Amino acid sequence: MSDENKVAVSATRLGLSLDVWSVITAFALALLVRIGALKHVPW
Amino acid sequence: MATSIALPSQEAQNPFAAVIRYIPGVLLLAAIGFAGKVLEQSINGYAKAHHLVIPNIEYVLWAIAIGLVIGNALTIPKVFLPGISTHEFWLKAGIVLLGARFVVADVLKLGGISIALVVLEISGSLVLMTFLGRLFNLKPKLTSLLAVGSAVCGVSAIIAAKGAIDADDEDSSFAIAAILALGAIALVAFPVVGHALHLSDNAYGMWSGLAVDNTAEATAAGTLFSDAAGKVAVLAKTTRNATIGFVVLGYALYWAGRGQAVKVKNKGAFLWNKFPKFVLGFLAISLLVSVHVFNKEQIGSLANLSRWAFLLTFAGVGLRTNFREMGKQGARPFIVGALGEILIAALTLGLVVAANTIWRL
Repeated sequence: MSDENKVAVSATRLGLSLDVWSVITAFALALLVRIGALKHVPW
Repeated sequence: MATSIALPSQEAQNPFAAVIRYIPGVLLLAAIGFAGKVLEQSINGYAKAHHLVIPNIEYVLWAIAIGLVIGNALTIPKVFLPGISTHEFWLKAGIVLLGARFVVADVLKLGGISIALVVLEISGSLVLMTFLGRLFNLKPKLTSLLAVGSAVCGVSAIIAAKGAIDADDEDSSFAIAAILALGAIALVAFPVVGHALHLSDNAYGMWSGLAVDNTAEATAAGTLFSDAAGKVAVLAKTTRNATIGFVVLGYALYWAGRGQAVKVKNKGAFLWNKFPKFVLGFLAISLLVSVHVFNKEQIGSLANLSRWAFLLTFAGVGLRTNFREMGKQGARPFIVGALGEILIAALTLGLVVAANTIWRL
């Protein structure tokens, strides 16, 4: 397994896995959209 | 992914430095992904302006192709590596946000069909890969890793199983290389077969979610066919991912029973530890959308955020696919993997066609 696959795939600083961080990030973004801080995200 | 590496102590004291080190690689992912998007739009715009009929090459393929060229032709400076490794993170965040495009009724319908098909797919894949591993005289634990990787969810499952069954680093590298190489082939082959068979978006998406092993490649293979197919591919793949704990637990118990792995003391904790939490996030967002927490425009924004997250993932898929590294692993695991994957693709295609006939996917 190459180094880039190994490095930092799990953010363990607060004892949280990469999975949990991804969920927290997604929910934070969803909250920003809900409260109107992110109004229109283009594609 | 289950791998974790302790951050250097200097960074442990300075969270800001830990974040900073990811920025160059994330910017590289964004630049490659965005270049893919611009290329698709530019080529389509040129073709339209000059009345040319050329096949539409999706941004997904451009992003992967640019990543492949950079990753294989150049030596990527170390400063980019931490950020490039975040492509798994963006994939999972993107899947959670993709929940906005499913109301619970969709999840229940397609998810219910997915569960039935996933059970059949996993059973068939485990039996098939175990048989092929024995036939080609592969090491038993390498066979277990290949079986888990092809049955459940590629690299993540292999890494989770490696720790649980106490497999060698070499075996896991073999299995990961085989799964990644086959995923790269699936990216090209699946859309071609799907179009040739005139599969519907739902049927094709279900097929790629069931048959392509790594989540990033399954998402890309689905999106290459169509946006709608990509959505269904993620749902089917997420259903597969949810079973990772059960399959890995089964192998852990098997190898512990033979005295070749550490005994599992608390099965409940083991299952929770291995369970991919982003599946719960996906379901939670889908539930929030179903009870109208978000309006239509906000749902559109969440769906677009999901697309941006996937864009970074696709760039990462290209960058981390290193053909030289794969070539070093030898041919036998690859041959076993390839044979197994072809048979699994045929099996799952048959399952999807049957399900489509019964339930009209």
